[in-house]
Amino acid sequence: MTRRRITLADGRYLIFYTFGEAEAETAPDMKSEAKPAEPEPVPEAEEERGV
Amino acid sequence: MSELRWNPLMGEWVATATHRQERTFMPPADFCPLCPTRPGGFPTEVPESEYDLVVFENRFPSLRPEPPEPAVEATELYPVRPGQGVCEVVLYSPRHTSTLAEEPVEQIYKLIQVWTDRFAELGQLPFVDYVFEFENKGEAIGVTLHHPHGQIYAYPFIPPRIERELEQSRSHHADTGRCLLCDIAGEERRDGRRIVAENNSFIAYVPFFARYPYEVHISSARHLQALTDMNEAEQRDLAAVLKMVLVAYDKLFNLSFPYMMVLHQRPTDGGDYDYYHFHIEFYPPLRTATKLKYLAGS
Repeated sequence: MTRRRITLADGRYLIFYTFGEAEAETAPDMKSEAKPAEPEPVPEAEEERGV
Repeated sequence: MSELRWNPLMGEWVATATHRQERTFMPPADFCPLCPTRPGGFPTEVPESEYDLVVFENRFPSLRPEPPEPAVEATELYPVRPGQGVCEVVLYSPRHTSTLAEEPVEQIYKLIQVWTDRFAELGQLPFVDYVFEFENKGEAIGVTLHHPHGQIYAYPFIPPRIERELEQSRSHHADTGRCLLCDIAGEERRDGRRIVAENNSFIAYVPFFARYPYEVHISSARHLQALTDMNEAEQRDLAAVLKMVLVAYDKLFNLSFPYMMVLHQRPTDGGDYDYYHFHIEFYPPLRTATKLKYLAGS
């Protein structure tokens, strides 16, 4: 199980859980509510857990 | 505004959250806030679509990790405290029209792993005494969003029904030296008439003392207190039994069956609850395809 935690524009956290062979890629810190078309800001440290 | 108000008559805390009156109510599918944001579409709670499950803080929470001060004054008879806790939403799938019953067993197994992860993380918060994982499903229950999801409330107190179960379990263990739910499961196996499903690790039955016509309890065969005590085989068996119960419900009246599903686990306040026993309870409100069971009266 892999967790990827992001921060939404209003400060709430959101965690994506993926399973199986898919590995989490380095993901940007999402500061906007919608998926941005512009280049993403600097990514925050992500938490990854393999099971 | 939100706060916890003490009910001196019942000896319990009541959460007040007036801002929840403004929460999204039954939007059309095109405007579902729990669906992944589509390119060019309105921004939803979920900015991406590539995931198995998603957990996020509720936009309209009853409890917050850093709550505001109460909007009402306390008195000696009516203590008040900030509504501190955590409210999370668990999305079961990116697919708007799915239900947990329609998901494959493998997806339910993934949900169990997510529940376990949340129980472990939230239970470690110093202000959390109880992690309550649950699902309200169907308009008859009062659900306001159709997208398949459950919720998690991390409470700063032990909820009253759990307190009552703990007291009953503690008392039974003190009297007999045995676990109350282990004894209940044993009684159901001996009787056999109320068993809905069973596998190596779990039993699902209509309790002898059911309040709802189609109430079902699922308890672990092994004496354990929380999801975090389970091994992988038990997690998979729980997924299989859940699937059996959920499909059975939908087949009962040939409709997507409404219910409250609640996970009863040990508190996370650091106390000793070895006498307690993990189980799941279902409270379905239908007594026929078209009639509701109202728990009126005392």
